[in-house]
Amino acid sequence: MPAAREVSVSLTVNGACREAVVPARTLLVHLLRDHLGLTGTHVGCDTTQCGACTVALDGVAVKSCTVLAAQADGCAVTTIEGLGNSDGALHPVQQAFQDEHALQCGYCTPGMVMAVRQLIEDHPSPTEDQVRHALDGNICRCTGYQNIVAAALRAARAVPRGPSAQAAESPAVEPPSTEPPPAEPPATEPEG
Amino acid sequence: MFPADFAYVHARSLDEALDLLDEAHVAGQEAKLIAGGQSLLPMMKLRLAVPEVLIDIGGLKELRAAGWTAGLGGSFNVLLGALTTYRQLERNRFYSEGHPVDRAGQRGRTGVVPAMTDALAVLADPQVRARGTVGGAVAHGDPAADLPAVLLALGATVIIASRKGRHEETARWPERVHRPMRAGSGARPADLPNVGRREVALDDFLQGIYATDLAEDEVITHVRISSPGARGSAYEKFPHPASHLPLAGVCAVLRLRDGRIDGAEVAVTGISPRPYRARETERMLVGAEPTTDSLAAAAAQVTRRPDGSEATLLGDQHASAPYRAHLAEVLARRALAKALARARVNLP
Repeated sequence: MPAAREVSVSLTVNGACREAVVPARTLLVHLLRDHLGLTGTHVGCDTTQCGACTVALDGVAVKSCTVLAAQADGCAVTTIEGLGNSDGALHPVQQAFQDEHALQCGYCTPGMVMAVRQLIEDHPSPTEDQVRHALDGNICRCTGYQNIVAAALRAARAVPRGPSAQAAESPAVEPPSTEPPPAEPPATEPEG
Repeated sequence: MFPADFAYVHARSLDEALDLLDEAHVAGQEAKLIAGGQSLLPMMKLRLAVPEVLIDIGGLKELRAAGWTAGLGGSFNVLLGALTTYRQLERNRFYSEGHPVDRAGQRGRTGVVPAMTDALAVLADPQVRARGTVGGAVAHGDPAADLPAVLLALGATVIIASRKGRHEETARWPERVHRPMRAGSGARPADLPNVGRREVALDDFLQGIYATDLAEDEVITHVRISSPGARGSAYEKFPHPASHLPLAGVCAVLRLRDGRIDGAEVAVTGISPRPYRARETERMLVGAEPTTDSLAAAAAQVTRRPDGSEATLLGDQHASAPYRAHLAEVLARRALAKALARARVNLP
């Protein structure tokens, strides 16, 4: 397969199969906004710092300004538009943001909501410290974060406990087994 | 912001990736490998990197294989696939909690490498950790990277693949297997007939600002760690508040025996053209009785080479070289104190 300046990308966005032919340098956020019309995902800093462009890529929150559209080929993307129910009901995280008035201008909100969704999936009952730490990669210039943190904590109480993403993601190294370790200096080998 | 125009190709195998590197070389084009892209894409947007060909190695199963073994004394071996993400490391209980047999009934015991857990908690942010890879962290050669400091202190080596016969081969796969290979999870790296492998110490691999020992026709496939024990370890950093990169960062590993320091590895990042081992600090620690004073005296030499000269120090608009050196000493003191406390908790 030769290297090409245009790439054909086929991916699942909010449950629907989408295809596009785009310049190779197209970023995922621009594919979503400019080619697929999903403008809920915002471009803030464009330098991997502010988190406004956060989407879920194969179920894990990433910054879509720092992923090539070509890298998302074959992946499943969930954007802010895909969080709520098709009947218009808000996702519990969105509802919590509304209830706690966790926004002022709203520009960072889609990214915040997507980051909080990931936090709650990883830590169903987070502490306030965990919330603040998990939002390290999301910048809000209006609120001072108080209501965003309150919304995250409220959302954690509201989100039904489901199976975590752990099962879907492959671990880097197999989790420890229950068999005893070797007494001698052990050896390592790639698994696959 | 867009990167400059480039041609993109998704490599389907390690073999093909090596072919693509060669093709670009023959065509006189600058090629770059991309995996997570969390460092490369921002650099490309700023035109600090302008590759003509981008070879996506994110799907190569040959770069995912990984395994570990652990001994009762805290010693362990790990083979990490280059595509292992920070998030995968972060969620791996091996580092944060250790082996279940070893930690059974031992309240307060730390994981096998608490310094790794420390570093992953403060490295970039969750979204970046979901994409950034171990191989990328090493290949990037960033003077201010967190993970390479931890890997340096753990004595890690880098395993590099290239076309057979191009570079002298040194990589050895141990005969003894603790965990059996999973069927169907890909070819064993050493079995690829046309691929040669060399293994180089990370300390030799890192050469300067964004400069490494990686040749144009090579691909990092694994990072290997063989440690006599790192339960008494800690990573401390002073982050830049916006970029989260360390203005200075120190990883300390201490092993105790009969009340004295039996082994010490200390690595420093963020203050020099490349992360480095503080050999003079290590020399002063080994054999010493661990006290606040002895740790502080060793920490005070964290920018000193064993020959008495001062390490090359970097400064920029964010922090001057003397300030970074000061931070490194303070962080070394903190990391050593934390490592010592953890080493004591973990004593049998």
